Amino acid sequence: MSRGGPAATVIRSQRRASVQGLLLVTPALFALGALTLYPTLWVGWLSLQRRIPIFGVERFEGLGNFFFLATDPRFWKAAQVTLVFTAASVALELVGGVLVALALRGQRAGARVGLSFLLLAWALPSVVTAKLFEWLYNPAAGLVNFLLGGIALNWLGDPRLALPGLILADVWRTLPFVTVLCYARLLAIPVELYEAAQMDGAGAVATFTRITLPLLRRILLIAVLFRTLDALRSFDLMFVLTGGGPAGTTETLTVYAYRSLFQAVQLGLGSAVGVVVFALVMLVAWGYLRALRHEGLAA
Amino acid sequence: MTPSPPPRGRGKGEAAVRVVLLLAACLAALIGCSKGSDTKGPLTIVLKHAKILGPVDPIPALLAEFESAHPGIRVKAEVLPWTSDEQRQFLVINLEGGQPGFDLMMLDCIWVPEFARAGWILDLTAGVTQDELAAHFPSAAQAGTYRGRTWALPWFMNVGLLYYRSDLLGRYGFKPPETYVAMLEQIRVIRAGEKSRKLEGYLWQGKQYEGLVVNVLEGLWADGTTLVGEDGRIFPDPERAEQVLRFMRMLIDTGASPGWVTAGDEEVTRRAFGNGEAIFLRSWPYAVDMFEKPGSPVRGKVGLAPLPSHEAGRRAPGSTGGAHLAITRHTRHPAEALELARFLTSAPAQRAMTASGATKPTRMALYHDAELVRASPNLPRIHDLTLAGRSRPVTPYYVMISTTLQPELSAALVKVKTPARSVADARRRLDFFLRDLQE
Amino acid sequence: MGRAGLPRSLRDWAVLLALLAYATPFFWQLLTSLKPEAELMVLPPLFPSRLTWEHYRVVLGQSVMLRALVNSLGVGVITTVLALGLGIFGAYGIARYPIPGKALLLLLIVGGTAFPQIATVSPLYLLMRALSLRDTWLALILANTSFALPLVIWLLTGFLQEIPVGLEEAASVDGASRPRAFRWIVLPLLAPGLASASLLTFLFSWNEFLFAYTFTATEASRTVPVALALFPGVFEVPWGDIAAASILASIPPVALVVGLQRYLVRGLLSGALRE
Repeated sequence: MSRGGPAATVIRSQRRASVQGLLLVTPALFALGALTLYPTLWVGWLSLQRRIPIFGVERFEGLGNFFFLATDPRFWKAAQVTLVFTAASVALELVGGVLVALALRGQRAGARVGLSFLLLAWALPSVVTAKLFEWLYNPAAGLVNFLLGGIALNWLGDPRLALPGLILADVWRTLPFVTVLCYARLLAIPVELYEAAQMDGAGAVATFTRITLPLLRRILLIAVLFRTLDALRSFDLMFVLTGGGPAGTTETLTVYAYRSLFQAVQLGLGSAVGVVVFALVMLVAWGYLRALRHEGLAA
Repeated sequence: MTPSPPPRGRGKGEAAVRVVLLLAACLAALIGCSKGSDTKGPLTIVLKHAKILGPVDPIPALLAEFESAHPGIRVKAEVLPWTSDEQRQFLVINLEGGQPGFDLMMLDCIWVPEFARAGWILDLTAGVTQDELAAHFPSAAQAGTYRGRTWALPWFMNVGLLYYRSDLLGRYGFKPPETYVAMLEQIRVIRAGEKSRKLEGYLWQGKQYEGLVVNVLEGLWADGTTLVGEDGRIFPDPERAEQVLRFMRMLIDTGASPGWVTAGDEEVTRRAFGNGEAIFLRSWPYAVDMFEKPGSPVRGKVGLAPLPSHEAGRRAPGSTGGAHLAITRHTRHPAEALELARFLTSAPAQRAMTASGATKPTRMALYHDAELVRASPNLPRIHDLTLAGRSRPVTPYYVMISTTLQPELSAALVKVKTPARSVADARRRLDFFLRDLQE
Repeated sequence: MGRAGLPRSLRDWAVLLALLAYATPFFWQLLTSLKPEAELMVLPPLFPSRLTWEHYRVVLGQSVMLRALVNSLGVGVITTVLALGLGIFGAYGIARYPIPGKALLLLLIVGGTAFPQIATVSPLYLLMRALSLRDTWLALILANTSFALPLVIWLLTGFLQEIPVGLEEAASVDGASRPRAFRWIVLPLLAPGLASASLLTFLFSWNEFLFAYTFTATEASRTVPVALALFPGVFEVPWGDIAAASILASIPPVALVVGLQRYLVRGLLSGALRE
């Protein structure tokens, strides 16, 4: 029989359970370590190097790449584009998403079909969305110019129009995500609350601001978190739709990093920009989570 | 939060289905991943080339001829992707990996020093004499050398030149302009006289791609300066460079060039000129065959001239370009690959390629070949222009330089940045990239 | 979550039509793919005089798109299987066992879903180069797993935590071993969660562009998004063919998402509510 009495038995079985748990987790951890963690550390190391693979240049440089970026106008322009893109995109998605969710909520029937149309936009590969909008924005034969009355705007070629055009495409693609989250939450709100408000004579706006919005608050904060992180990391859409042009007006940090990595073949510099994006994303995530926790909303 | 009723027998069936799918997919993967193995028997050389545009593809016939002359050698020709960028990406990825699966490849002349420096192509100096190279244009031969060694054989040639509407110029008694000032004046007069609002003045390639760098380069040469200085620095004369950019912007501002040239590449501008919509066009020799086709609106009305200069009396060379043939470093059949390269760049082969209308030869003698001239009377003219042409900087870092310059130059043209800013930013960036890289 | 069926009131119809209009970009592309070449660049008229399959014929006739569809399918399926296989054990371990540092581990894994791909692409590129995995399915599978696995573990942990431990405890009282309890009690209840996780993983793998663009060189391993982005155009852009290729590229994800809507919504919600 076991030694040490009942307490020791419990401790032993706890330890065995821990070991069993670790065994179960190990394969996944190994994969994660090799594919996610290791590259993350490696990119930090690369960002401190001068590295040009095709010419075999490989030299430690310390913070040289970061010093260059600090005074690099293209880097700051890319940072600006990234922030404008993120802020505008997320704001529009949020407002639009809530409105559409409210509209869906009021549906007595046909909500499933309606949701399908929305999800269609979300499900498309971003490259497909890029091609869709490239065609829509075509100056001569595009639907957008046609709907605007036949005016030949050069959406993707005009430095002032390219970024709004890009933001519109992104909002179209991601608004359904916000809608789905809000809609599911709205469904969980008991109808009695609205009936009570109606009996008290509350108008639509008041009902919205006093009842709906506070109940949506948590899911909205979460949606903002997800969408902000996604927008900061966004690459596919702008790369395929505009390539970062014209003249860098839609070049986000991600596109700048990619071009540095694989066009200019400056692996060190490109990695440095990648590290900046990484730090930015982690900072934002941490900030949001802190905010959520402060509001006592985190699990 | 009630769980939905569990699907029946899901667990085991699901696992089994997964295993089957996994096996099937792995099998497909293996089939997909495996590269074709070398066939035993006749020796096979793999040639990778870009599709040669034109009415007839000359390559298959040439390869058949080579195979019949060399029994025991089979040549497999594979086409590279469409665009120049993709071709380069494909070649780089495969050559870096070490086992490229091809022996002979067609390179844009600007890639040769880079590929040589990277150690991907074979040094041909031992197998190719100076006499052999002397038959080709000097700039073509030079583009295939790096550090004094020969790395690639010239295959076909290009040079930037000015197309003009001979009928319109003739009507107003003009000769092809020698300076840009003269050209602008001619445009003004002709447009006033023709009263056709659809008549554009001067078309050139201003889209953000390699073509833009070529156009700017020609502008710099026309102003007596250059892109890469003696010491290897970019824009050795920054003020002149700014001036050139300002001039190109001015072309658009004054309407001498339409706004869409900033999105225009070779084909877009060729089509517009070929439809009779412009007076002048800067492009490559390939276009003249399109203009002289039966049914073309500008047939018989097109003339060729050297590019204008910014100062009277100074020459303005066009940028030369074209393609070379290079052999992969670790090919198993270097001698045979060199034979094939020699064959494809020989006079008969180049003549066949020129006759099918698609490319212009690198061998100078062919430009005065009676039969070819009969079919394409502009050949001697193109020969003179090519001889006066100048190659882009022959450096392993040319692509790096070009891809870094493109966004800056484009920013200056579309007025997102001032020319001074663009030049300064470009210099700063390239200084950082090129610092202590040896040639 | 019913509300199926046809709308009856005017308001319902209006909303439904508005949502239909939301999907106009997609339907416009569909229309474009069926428009004859000659009528493409002319607008108005909006609608073509006749419908044609010529663009689909062109797209399917070139082997590139077909091959890309096969590649995407293969990579997607294998990634899903791999991520789920690794993830289910990992999630079970975290959800049910007293692993030291569990909270931190989970936090790191959840944080892993936020990693930007652009940061990991350069080291992964060097890795693939070193392993000679350029232009292979394996490169993409590994790269996709790097961001799919954290997501799967996170989702499945959440779903597992919803399933009361009491069920397994009752089973063990009845003499069932841990694995048996897992297989017969937990797995069936987890099935919807597995469906959600599989769906999301396959979707992300299918739509993935950055890694696929970087690690593939030829149609041997090119996936659908890359093939679409690199669609060849000789002189002018072949909008009709691109439209047809876009529609073909969209069929699997759209079919999955619309058909398995329930699981998708559940997956998205679960991930969101369990931040």
